Amino acid sequence: MTLLDDFRPYVPGLVLLGGGALFATLLGGAVPGLQPLVVAVAVGVAVANTVGVPAVAEPGASLHKLALETGIVLLGAAIALEELVAAGPTVLGLVVVAVAGGLLLSEAVARGLFRIEGTTPSLLAAGASVCGVSAVVAVGRVLEARGAALTFAAATVLLFDAVTLVAFPLAGEWLGLTGRQFGVWAGLSMFSTGPVAAAGFAHSVEAGQWATVTKLARNSLLGGVAIAYSVAYAARSATEPEARELWAEFPKFLLGFLLVAAIANAGVLSPAAIESVTAVSDGLFLVAFVGLGLSIRVRELRAVGLAPVGVVLIHLLVVSALTLAAVRALL
Amino acid sequence: MTDEDDDGAIAGGAGDDTDDVAAGADGDETRLSRRWRALDRGWQALCLGLAIVAAHLVIYPV
Repeated sequence: MTLLDDFRPYVPGLVLLGGGALFATLLGGAVPGLQPLVVAVAVGVAVANTVGVPAVAEPGASLHKLALETGIVLLGAAIALEELVAAGPTVLGLVVVAVAGGLLLSEAVARGLFRIEGTTPSLLAAGASVCGVSAVVAVGRVLEARGAALTFAAATVLLFDAVTLVAFPLAGEWLGLTGRQFGVWAGLSMFSTGPVAAAGFAHSVEAGQWATVTKLARNSLLGGVAIAYSVAYAARSATEPEARELWAEFPKFLLGFLLVAAIANAGVLSPAAIESVTAVSDGLFLVAFVGLGLSIRVRELRAVGLAPVGVVLIHLLVVSALTLAAVRALL
Repeated sequence: MTDEDDDGAIAGGAGDDTDDVAAGADGDETRLSRRWRALDRGWQALCLGLAIVAAHLVIYPV
């Protein structure tokens, strides 16, 4: 067995992702105003919901998440740390308030208004407030949630990922937000990192960078939120909160993003190198967004129940309205 | 539905599905491949990203 043999199963899927990315680049370049990243998601959705993803391409197509995270690590090269540090405290403050407020809001709406019981309200709250399905899974693991509750919560979050991916860039355009305002707003309000980055870059490069950075700050709270839930459910949960658990939930690639940002801002990379690294990052985002589109199955999204949709819709409307007011006033 | 946990990913550990690829799961793979699979996706992204930056440092010296 050689490395080449190990790599072979991934080739068909990578060709599919690469072909989609190439098509998106060509079409985006040919039609003025059309963002290649948006085309990439659309291509993925079209393929997945018409011909479907061939089984032979699934191993390679699953690498889109790795492409997204590696693209984010490399995005660090394009980030001006001075600007980040200047806006950092405000954005971090907004992130903490949005996550904490969002968790409390969703819990209250789910239990008080929709009378949903068990762990489902917590799964919905974590998914909507922190970082999508991974938060649902992480909190579900801590709370030992049932498989059905996990599935419903995850499907609800994913339904909103698909909707907000289209709605946010349109809203940002309509509201006349600057790139930074839109990026931070999307990073605070939307759920999963892929759609957040895609929506940000659909607006502008600056918005994409701010959306990604803001979302990363939100994601980094996942470990703390999982442990807070573990403590809150202590009577039911068999697991004890530990520092090890906090570390297990921490998004390690965030360290890579910070490291690359530090390297680039230290002047170690030449302008040509930064330009090339940024181009590689853009390419990885394209590939990742084709994969994101491939993972959206419209038929499965229709199966989501009305109560979870109601909870997450109220969360989204309230949080996005408040954070919109905040970014307009503060940024 | 989408299996995009974007964040799934994001969590690195949580919802991490680096091992969701069946190929080679039978132990019939190189040691490097085994070690690579043992890493969670967050670490894999960090390693790949730093390797790409290192390559650029060599190709485009300051």
